[in-house]
Amino acid sequence: MSPIELLDLVLLALLLTCAIGIARLKDLAACAILFSAYSFILCLVWAHRGAPDVAMTEAAVGAGITTVLFLTVISRVGRREK
Amino acid sequence: MNAWRTGRILTTVLIGALAVPLMYGVLHLPPPGQADAPAHSNVSAKYIEHGAEHGGSENLVTGVLLNYRALDTFGEVLVIFTAWLAVAAVAGTARQTGHESTPPSPIVDYVIRMLAPFIAVFALFVIVNGHVLPGGGFQGGVLLGAMLILLSLAHGGEPVADVVSLRTWIWLRAAGVLVFALVALLGLPLTGYLFGLPTDPTLRHALMIVLELGIGIGGGAVLGGLYFSIAGVERS
Amino acid sequence: MNAATSVFSHIDYLVAVALFLSGAWILLTSNNLVKKIIGLNVMETSVFAFIVTTGMIDDGAPPLLAAGVEGPFASPLPHALVLTGIVVAVSVTSLALVLVLRIKAELGSVELDEIESVGEHDDSAGPGGGSG
Repeated sequence: MSPIELLDLVLLALLLTCAIGIARLKDLAACAILFSAYSFILCLVWAHRGAPDVAMTEAAVGAGITTVLFLTVISRVGRREK
Repeated sequence: MNAWRTGRILTTVLIGALAVPLMYGVLHLPPPGQADAPAHSNVSAKYIEHGAEHGGSENLVTGVLLNYRALDTFGEVLVIFTAWLAVAAVAGTARQTGHESTPPSPIVDYVIRMLAPFIAVFALFVIVNGHVLPGGGFQGGVLLGAMLILLSLAHGGEPVADVVSLRTWIWLRAAGVLVFALVALLGLPLTGYLFGLPTDPTLRHALMIVLELGIGIGGGAVLGGLYFSIAGVERS
Repeated sequence: MNAATSVFSHIDYLVAVALFLSGAWILLTSNNLVKKIIGLNVMETSVFAFIVTTGMIDDGAPPLLAAGVEGPFASPLPHALVLTGIVVAVSVTSLALVLVLRIKAELGSVELDEIESVGEHDDSAGPGGGSG
């Protein structure tokens, strides 16, 4: 197995970890930050799948804009999930 | 509360049941990365072979977006403009004041102030070079939108929303739709097709850059507007 | 043995399916509306991951002809589709979020069970029973 394949597997495992973390955590702000990390890892995966355009957009939208929108809303509705 | 828990367990069982056919199905797809898979042998092969001469763009993604799938892209530009209209209608124009109590730390403020012009220049670079390098209207547009949001985070939103009047913001947000519609109609006299781009390289290049600038500025302004509406700082 | 190699070669697709299912689980079982929207976003991005993976090619270059690279190029069509999809996804997310803000203002909560109990109160106390 080449190092780049190993990196791929590690990134995919991190993606699953982030998704499970979002499902388990009760703190909405933590969920939003985890979603940001998830988007950024996905962007790394896409960058070496030969999709630099998509990776660039996902880094700006998924890891940036969507997270800011989530955090803005969470600051208004409360960060604890009951 | 008990019914809630039962529903949760039932949903988990349902998702588990859904997992079996989905996993089984994808295992029987051709493995990703094979050059002779159906995804690579039909239109994609033609796009790669003829994309540069048909589309006038060495970045084939831009070529697909602006030529082969131009109607698709036009619909997408319409969708984000409509989404902004819907968000503005739901959020209303009342500016909520008083919930911004803590100013950002001077370091954050300074760093964002330093960074913003560079992000703007990079976004313009990405938009204008979309036909040779990775990038294009959407990519540059989201960078512009991110810059607007970043500035709003440092300065509380209102000063950024007040940079231009609401009327100008609306024209900027509609820029993508308007420019795209204009270029699409221009295709009729120039080539005989709606959304057609002329074959003359210089003219085609100029039209593509106009198109990309429209999509980029429109997209960036829409994304900024979405944030302004959600944060309650939209200009009325 | 054959099944194991098949799982290994399809690992990208399998991870995308697993992400889709976990997103669906968050969307369906969460009691909080904001959490539901985060789940919806996980579902969306997993579909994007699936589509980008179909366009990938082993040892392939990005679909940029300018670099003077020979050899297999990744398919540009899925990239273009996903590019438009990402921008639509953020529009959908912001529309959903602004509706959540409106629900919070009108009904005073973003928890589904509390919203339901607000509806029950309304039958006795009349409209406008929320704290918004």
